[in-house]
Amino acid sequence: MSNAPGSPTPHSTVGMAVELTAITKRFGAFTANDGIDLAVRRGEIHAIIGENGAGKTTLMNILFGLLQPDEGSIRLNGETTVVADPAVAIKAGLGMVHQHFKLVPSLSVADNVFLGMEIRRHGLIDHAAQVARTHELSKRFGLHVDPTERVGLLSVGIEQRIEILKVLVRGARTIILDEPTAVLTPQESRELFQTLRSFVAEGMTVIFISHHLEEVMEVSDTVTVLRNGRKVATRPTSELSKDELVRMMVGREVSFDRRPRAALNGDVVLDVRDLWARDDRRLPAVRGASFTVRAGEVVGIAGVAGNGQTELAEVLSGLRPASHGEAWLKGRDLTTLGPAAIREAGFAHVPGDRMVRGVDRNASIAANTLMGRQHRAPWSRSGVLDWKAIAANAGTLIKSFDIRAQGSGDPVKRLSGGNIQKVVLAREFTNGADFLLIDQPTRGVDIGAQEAIHSEIMRQRAAGRAILLISVQLDELAALADRILVMFNGRIMGEVPGDNADEDRIGMMMAGVLPEPAAEPV
Amino acid sequence: MEILDKLINIALVAATLRTTAPILLVALGGSFTTKAGIFNIGLEGQMLAGAFFAVLGSIWTGSALAGVACGVAAALAFALAFAVLVVTFRANEVVVGLALNILAGGMTISLMKAIFGTRGSIVGHGIVGLPKVQIPGAQALLGSWAPLISGFTPIVYVAFIAVPLLVLFYNRTRLGLYIRVVGEKPEAAEALGISITRVRYTASLLCGLLAGLAGAHLSLGYITMFTENMSSGRGFMAVAILIFSNGDPLKVLAGCLLFGFADAFSLRLQTFGFPSYLVLTVPYVVALAALFALSYRARPKIIRETLASMQKLLSTDRTSAPADKNPQ
Repeated sequence: MSNAPGSPTPHSTVGMAVELTAITKRFGAFTANDGIDLAVRRGEIHAIIGENGAGKTTLMNILFGLLQPDEGSIRLNGETTVVADPAVAIKAGLGMVHQHFKLVPSLSVADNVFLGMEIRRHGLIDHAAQVARTHELSKRFGLHVDPTERVGLLSVGIEQRIEILKVLVRGARTIILDEPTAVLTPQESRELFQTLRSFVAEGMTVIFISHHLEEVMEVSDTVTVLRNGRKVATRPTSELSKDELVRMMVGREVSFDRRPRAALNGDVVLDVRDLWARDDRRLPAVRGASFTVRAGEVVGIAGVAGNGQTELAEVLSGLRPASHGEAWLKGRDLTTLGPAAIREAGFAHVPGDRMVRGVDRNASIAANTLMGRQHRAPWSRSGVLDWKAIAANAGTLIKSFDIRAQGSGDPVKRLSGGNIQKVVLAREFTNGADFLLIDQPTRGVDIGAQEAIHSEIMRQRAAGRAILLISVQLDELAALADRILVMFNGRIMGEVPGDNADEDRIGMMMAGVLPEPAAEPV
Repeated sequence: MEILDKLINIALVAATLRTTAPILLVALGGSFTTKAGIFNIGLEGQMLAGAFFAVLGSIWTGSALAGVACGVAAALAFALAFAVLVVTFRANEVVVGLALNILAGGMTISLMKAIFGTRGSIVGHGIVGLPKVQIPGAQALLGSWAPLISGFTPIVYVAFIAVPLLVLFYNRTRLGLYIRVVGEKPEAAEALGISITRVRYTASLLCGLLAGLAGAHLSLGYITMFTENMSSGRGFMAVAILIFSNGDPLKVLAGCLLFGFADAFSLRLQTFGFPSYLVLTVPYVVALAALFALSYRARPKIIRETLASMQKLLSTDRTSAPADKNPQ
């Protein structure tokens, strides 16, 4: 695909800091980057935005020489360059601030900044010179740090400044930041943006990866949107509205048909009232969520990733404490219970990250179908596991959920993503729970398996289960959900009926431009 | 009081310095590997091999210095084997360290049998011990205090001079800095293009160098002989010191002085007719006492942390923590 309309002069190399042409990168059968073109002008802040898994980080790792592209070419400052490793990129004036900092806690700030390129005098490291130089750089760009302090005592926000200083000391003129605000408080983010502007003021270039709309709108000059490994468009930020940006990010082509359903009017199974929770940075991530889920109903939660959906799922399943509010499931308040008690209360959970929380990848399919109910008949008798019964049960599940495996003794890690997800569904859906929390059921799953998983969810609905479906794919929600709640910045912005999902309206709510008071709990 | 005077005097202090030297050297050697993030319990074996081959080299060449060189070479060979297995082949450090210790013990015994036809010890055969360095003017300057700085073998001086040198090495040299970085945050080293493998090999070989010197000091220093299992647990004491000092040269020195003093004190007690088996336990009793004292000090902290984490648990039970109800 060529440059999208509105992208800056496609073939001129004048004034371009970075040009990527038709970059393709595959990991096995998965294509992370599919023919991506990217042109970054010198002296601009260029944001690269897209959902998790859209291919942003892969693309930047290729640019920085951490990965090699399968196809495509790279031009740095107008010269075609094979970026064989990061040393080449650094020499060409590129610097990258990674998502995960690599600092040494027992060393001082200045020592960390100069690590690998120490200033030496008579063969010994000249600490004073390093401190002076760090101080000078930090003052020039408003990166306030005390160069003599030990890194282990500092906050994450300051650690990021040190990483930026590291890049500057190495002479970078083009700075790549991978999700820099993910670990920052709003105050720290604002300070970071000021620093980025001071870079541009000095003629430097900034490439900025994010999935947060607001900060992209606030700080960038140009936006490139990636989706599912492809470039959607490159546009000047000033010509874009948040709403347009959301639509480009999540896409609007519908690949699923709406599933037919019988109207069911069951009792309220889950009743969430004014629920609040904090994220790992201790910032409010879920802010006053209230909603109900009835038996035989699929309630969808839509939203750009990182707007509190993960935290909401974690609070409901007992993995994260609520800071306020209640979540009633059949007469019990889930916020007072631990994960095991919540499951006992009739709660099944298909976690968003199946490899971390869904399965033990080294254990067999049989063992994975057992987890969480190992103490119950028929899986165990008088405290002893009955492996015959477990294997027989797993065999039945493999058949009924169409899990493509050689046998129930197969380790889960040998299965494809879709089949691993089916193992999780098979366990969770046969638990007899009244309420199912299903988080990103088809992430990284091929189309065939997606259809099968959707059918299974509809079967559970028909069986009278109450289902909360969290997904970043709008078409998935439109196919399955009876009602769609839209989350933005921790709040539920509004509700849209599933059978007549107005995507413009959802998109505006996802972008936070259509604030609506959250529905009062019934 | 009279006995105490005889027990504790300048001679005891001088003896302490002498007995500290081998533990200090081997512990400083271990400091390199500890700082580089390798748990090296193979110190004992490197030291023993150093002691044996130092004697062998001294007999063959008739020179104490060549003997020391032989001992160091043998310890380096052990250190290299350790590095190849642990760094290159990623074998378990404890298993490899133990295996090399056992190898050193068995090898010295069988070589002793093969070369000298004896078991137990090598005495005589023309072993040349290290000379004692008399510092000129020490006697005139310090009088009866002179034995504190003069009259030691060269390796004793090397051991104590190594302490400030190592402090400088870790703080002011590039290699020292890289060793610390590799041990503390290997990902940072990798990201900056510092070769973890190369740094760990270097640290391991530096360790072998000092462990070999320590071994040579045992067999060529004050007694010129080799006996089976001559290192008698000094390498393990060094490991204990390293665990508590985290390889910090000054803390290593403090720990080694404690053990060296216990060693010297026990030797002193022997001359007063205490049962030798009892006396020989003194250094180990001191080691246990030191470990106990250190862990005793850590204990209240453990209790504090347990209490804190329990409180945290209780506060997530929301009924008991109205303070956390405030969402903002």
